[in-house]
Amino acid sequence: MDNVILEMRNITKSFSDNVVLNDVNFELRKGEVHALVGANGAGKSTLVKILNGIYTANSGEIFIEGKKANIRHSSDAEKHGIAFVHQELNICPDLNVAENIYVGNLVKSKLGFFDSKSTIKKAQDLIDMIQVDMKSTEKVRNLRAAEKQIIEILKALTTNAKILVLDEPTSSLNEKEKVIFTGIVNKLKSQGVSILFITHFLDDVLLLSDRVTVIKDGVNNGIFNAKEITKDILIDAMIGKSVIKCCNSRQDTKEDAKTILELQDLSSSNKFNNVNLKIKQGNIVGVCGLLGAGKTELARAIYGLDKFDSGKILLYGKPVKKVSPMIMMKKKVALVTEDRKIDGFVPLLSIRENSTLSIMDRLCSNFGFINRKQQNSVAEELSKSVSVKKSSIEQKVVHLSGGNQQKVIIARCFASKPKLFILDEPTRGVDVYAKSEIYCILSEMAAQGVAIVIFSSELDELIDVCDEILVLKKGQITESIKTINFDKNKLLAMIS
Amino acid sequence: MAMNKLRKAYSYIADESVLIFIIMAFSIMMSVVSPYFLKSSNLMNIVQYISVAGITSIGMTMVILTGGINLSVGGTLALSAWVSAYSMLNGTPWYLAVLISLTIGAAVGAINGLAVTVIRIPPLIATLALEQITRGLQLVLSKGKPLHGFPKEFLFVGAGQIFGIPMSVIWVAVLFVIFGIFLSKTRMGRSIYAVGGNPEATKIAGINNSKVIMFVYMTAGVLASFAGIILIARMDSAPTAIAASLDMQAITACVIGGASVTCGGKGRVFGTFLGIIIMGLIQNSLDLLNVSAYYQQFIQGIIIFLAVSMDAFRNARAGKNNTFWKKAKFKEQLL
Repeated sequence: MDNVILEMRNITKSFSDNVVLNDVNFELRKGEVHALVGANGAGKSTLVKILNGIYTANSGEIFIEGKKANIRHSSDAEKHGIAFVHQELNICPDLNVAENIYVGNLVKSKLGFFDSKSTIKKAQDLIDMIQVDMKSTEKVRNLRAAEKQIIEILKALTTNAKILVLDEPTSSLNEKEKVIFTGIVNKLKSQGVSILFITHFLDDVLLLSDRVTVIKDGVNNGIFNAKEITKDILIDAMIGKSVIKCCNSRQDTKEDAKTILELQDLSSSNKFNNVNLKIKQGNIVGVCGLLGAGKTELARAIYGLDKFDSGKILLYGKPVKKVSPMIMMKKKVALVTEDRKIDGFVPLLSIRENSTLSIMDRLCSNFGFINRKQQNSVAEELSKSVSVKKSSIEQKVVHLSGGNQQKVIIARCFASKPKLFILDEPTRGVDVYAKSEIYCILSEMAAQGVAIVIFSSELDELIDVCDEILVLKKGQITESIKTINFDKNKLLAMIS
Repeated sequence: MAMNKLRKAYSYIADESVLIFIIMAFSIMMSVVSPYFLKSSNLMNIVQYISVAGITSIGMTMVILTGGINLSVGGTLALSAWVSAYSMLNGTPWYLAVLISLTIGAAVGAINGLAVTVIRIPPLIATLALEQITRGLQLVLSKGKPLHGFPKEFLFVGAGQIFGIPMSVIWVAVLFVIFGIFLSKTRMGRSIYAVGGNPEATKIAGINNSKVIMFVYMTAGVLASFAGIILIARMDSAPTAIAASLDMQAITACVIGGASVTCGGKGRVFGTFLGIIIMGLIQNSLDLLNVSAYYQQFIQGIIIFLAVSMDAFRNARAGKNNTFWKKAKFKEQLL
């Protein structure tokens, strides 16, 4: 087949005993958009890292335009016309668009000085080529998320890439920005660029791609034509069994349920304003809003990570005088933060130590010695109860996949037996199956009387799981909804 | 069964096996090159070097584990040693003098800790300032005059022997074992690793980071002043220019032993122990090979530079694999 631009044949990769990819075949056709999906830890990132030369496959071959390619470094990939756009954006906010696009190879004048004029002109040509409404002289700081994403893509295009690899390109985009992004992908496609993209958002897969390859447990579990399938078929191929719908048999909250958390006129300048809310025992409350609506800020303020200006936080009916993580932990509050890599876990410590980090006091005998036997059994039990996929509890958390890292953090909070459990974007970057597992754990906790607050922008998930959803808009709670049979689009209209 | 035990024992030292190999190779090489190397008097030299810098480097390891650094150990040692020497010569019982010394060490450590946790000065600068303050204070008090002539019982602490084993060997062995167990088995020990590995996550998990950091700097201060006791007891003198470049020796030992100065939470006391032995061997062989003292500082500098470069290189490589596809979403508010 001469219209295949990239072919990865019989790729096998293992890390010591752990086989991550087993005889995987993958092909990308000229000018197609091909999505690569799979559950966390299925091996899709590994496959892409092999393509980028970060890992070397144990066996298997890569062909580019029919010729065998030997990719050992990132620079090899570039030489073969493969460009990567990573999920995190590498941009300099104080440079203009043109300078950001050409940051690696700025145009120089004859004297060796930076030629700002022709850099700007070259960049503008590039922007016009994909027909986006953007000025190359604009400061990047003033741009929106989607536009920054576009700059990253343009940057990749300056290397004359024939193959563009996008990692989770839509995760930071809102619904409107996704439309712009879709347009660009289609334009690139029409210019003959082949695009491979990795994502957890199955809706985007169906919307954007021509074909989909599903990786499951290190093997290629099927190639589909995106036009002919539904989300359920994809999930089936990724997971192998239908996702357990959460046990939705929650009863209505009893009238006499105690109020666990109450916020009275909580305000923090530029972040949120006069937030009032009450959360009762056994309730799951969702707080939704767009990026920048103040969700994370509010969650952090309640737990004492950031200060607030005025207002009161009441726990179990009593005002908390000094709010700090230590005190909140003592008062049986637990928090899962938004960004697990930054403040979620201690990467070099094991599952055992991370999951018992909050309860070391309880595992200590005299003189502060940790009772290792007890710690082992507690950690085993914890990781079983949240079903962490692991080879042993001594595995370092840094080596786990994203979903499993999140489960370890939840296990740590679970261990501290919270009465109030705050979660900020608990399912970001987590695959569908792990998502439903996480929500099942939360539902179970709620059934046992724990009050749960979920800050999230995943509207479907909130509607499925929560008893009540609060809408946060520009730092203010504008709406409160009972979720039974509530429509997503209505909610979407409310937040934006 | 025996095989299993052997494997377990090996897995314990696997990370440090290179260091053990270096020590063995170095020793064999030196014993071939120099006839004096294996003489007991020479081995004694090495042990003495190891004892002072080694005890200090235990504290340094803990500080580095929390992601900090301590440049004030030399000054801490100098000041506390001088005050205890002075008080002994003025009639204070030797055991009280030791207590005074340790208290000063703890106090300097506490100031370091407060500077880092409350005032939030970067550890490098805070401890550098404390180094100047303590050194200066010692010079002011001593007016540049050394002290000597300490009680016999006091001298025993540093120069005595039990069953033919020099006291300095006993102290080093006991302290390394105690702190090795402390760091791996206790709540505080593990908290030190957690705080160094990810301070934000540890705080969220409900651990009092400031308490851990205070503890670490205070312990480092106490250990430095204890090293000072051993040093002046062995020399029967408290000179004014004492423990020069002790901080560098301790840091180098930690880094050679696998502790990371570029990111916290990595390293072990056992590694530091091997690190200090290597330092001692290098120092001793330079002496035996008649390398001028002028060169020694130069060579030490090269060694620490190489060790830290290795550390940075290792971390950069590990970082490349871990953070490359990291799910960290970009933070709009940061831009």
